[in-house]
Amino acid sequence: MEPRRDDLDLAAELRALRPTPRSEFAARLDARAAAGFPRHGQDPASSMVGRLVERLRATPPRRLLAPAGTCAALAIGLATAVIAISENGSPPHSPRLTPDAHVRRFGASPGPTNPAPSAEGASRLDRYSSKASAAGEGSSGIQLSEGLSELQSMSRPSGPYASRAGHRDIERSAQIVLGADPTGVRAGAAKVFDAVHAADGIVLRSSIRDGAAGEAGATFDLLIPSARLGDALAAFSAIAEVRSRHESTQDITAPTVGVGERLQNTRAKIESLLSQLASAETDAERTVVEAELRTERRHAAALRSRLAVLQRRANFSRVSLRIETGAPSAGSEGGNWGVGDGLADAGRILAIAAGVTVIGLAVLGPLALIALIAWLGHRVWVRRRREQALA
Amino acid sequence: MIPRVARSRGVNHTLVATAEDAPREAELAFDRLYRSSRDDVYAYAAGLLRDAAAAEEVTATVFERAYRKRARFDPNRGEPRAWLFGIARNAALDELRRRSRQAELTADPVDAASIADHHPAESSELRLVLAGALEKLEARERELVALKFFAGLSNAEIARVLGITESNAGTKLHRVVNKLREACHGTA
Repeated sequence: MEPRRDDLDLAAELRALRPTPRSEFAARLDARAAAGFPRHGQDPASSMVGRLVERLRATPPRRLLAPAGTCAALAIGLATAVIAISENGSPPHSPRLTPDAHVRRFGASPGPTNPAPSAEGASRLDRYSSKASAAGEGSSGIQLSEGLSELQSMSRPSGPYASRAGHRDIERSAQIVLGADPTGVRAGAAKVFDAVHAADGIVLRSSIRDGAAGEAGATFDLLIPSARLGDALAAFSAIAEVRSRHESTQDITAPTVGVGERLQNTRAKIESLLSQLASAETDAERTVVEAELRTERRHAAALRSRLAVLQRRANFSRVSLRIETGAPSAGSEGGNWGVGDGLADAGRILAIAAGVTVIGLAVLGPLALIALIAWLGHRVWVRRRREQALA
Repeated sequence: MIPRVARSRGVNHTLVATAEDAPREAELAFDRLYRSSRDDVYAYAAGLLRDAAAAEEVTATVFERAYRKRARFDPNRGEPRAWLFGIARNAALDELRRRSRQAELTADPVDAASIADHHPAESSELRLVLAGALEKLEARERELVALKFFAGLSNAEIARVLGITESNAGTKLHRVVNKLREACHGTA
């Protein structure tokens, strides 16, 4: 439809009423546009932050996605690394936990690879062990009194978990697998014996077999003084290629202290019974007291035996050593970090990363939602206020 | 077809772009937009606000904001002029709101003498009547006139700026023009 003449005239007249800017203003604005609209009177201190904010605001959201994603990935990676390292006490690719790591994790005293808490503590432990062992072999509880009083002083205040923070009884064990040629098995076994003797250890059982690769080998069950376990393991590791090495620790302070305290009570009761026996006037009384005394002595003997076993466990570490020939068996662990270990580590790291991501989303998701709602609400409010300005 | 007015006459300052400091595409596009729309934005702001000083301030603000946001403009979401006038509308309405909070300002009186001096008698008379009728329009109606006849936006662009449909924009414009025509005929 053709516009009416009236309309054309009206439109032309309206256009003729179009306001035009003053030439000074136009020139000033052109100059500012040419200069890129510099801000006036900007505080130099805040200019860097301001520029950064301005740059962020000027950047299209799509361009912000890549840096934001990179930052998020870096944050997740960093959090994963921190968690993985703090979980292990070592980088995630470490094949096996070291005894030190065990000790750190479970709060026990340093293991044999580290020096004992103090030389005094170590010697006291040795002294006590020998006394306890000697007492365990004998029948008289009196022989134990000195050792018990020392144990008592060590465990004061009473309670198996209350004290001995710097002197705990740790049972240690180790399994080590060495790889050797069939011709080198005997030489290796001889070196094992040498190392055991050097460490004042005991060979509980040994077995050496000659033959072809895969058949030849040797096995040893050893008892090594715990204080020298680190040196002994180092010596074993130097004999041949280490195919696997596993060490474990167990804190047996609580049962040791508990048995010691019960032994002390039994000892006191025996002394009391002996006094009663001395003061008994009739045969019947003596008979009753002697029966009770026998029972308590049996009890004390059992406790001494248990204490000796516990002390032996703390003082001597059981080491299972195997020299094998041929290709490493499928079950041998550690030593070489293989594909399986790599996959296991990768799976663990992915699990941690997924956990970090989920936790991050759980925290940031609601915050982002609240921010989005607030932003949308603000926009609606501003738009409404602007429309009201036209009313 | 209604002829469109020549836009942004008098822009004689060339934005500097040396060879070694070649502006990016967004800056070139902004340069083009600035040159084609400077006077239109001013005309829209002045038509809506009826205050030359405020219009200058709004115009400067509009281009500054547009310059800062130039990289965020997405051509897929509309014409650059519609985007620019969206910014201009926000700035102008903010200014209107600020003024409504303060003491009510008096509008610039229509300069009847200048109209009469520069235009033939018949035409000047109609313009005077029209200028008077414009003064009596509501702000919303005045905004439509400013967008259509001062800034030279198409109905589609107006619809995009106002956030309404094109047909709705056309209907509203038609009503305003009728109102102005009636005012002219009533006076005549």
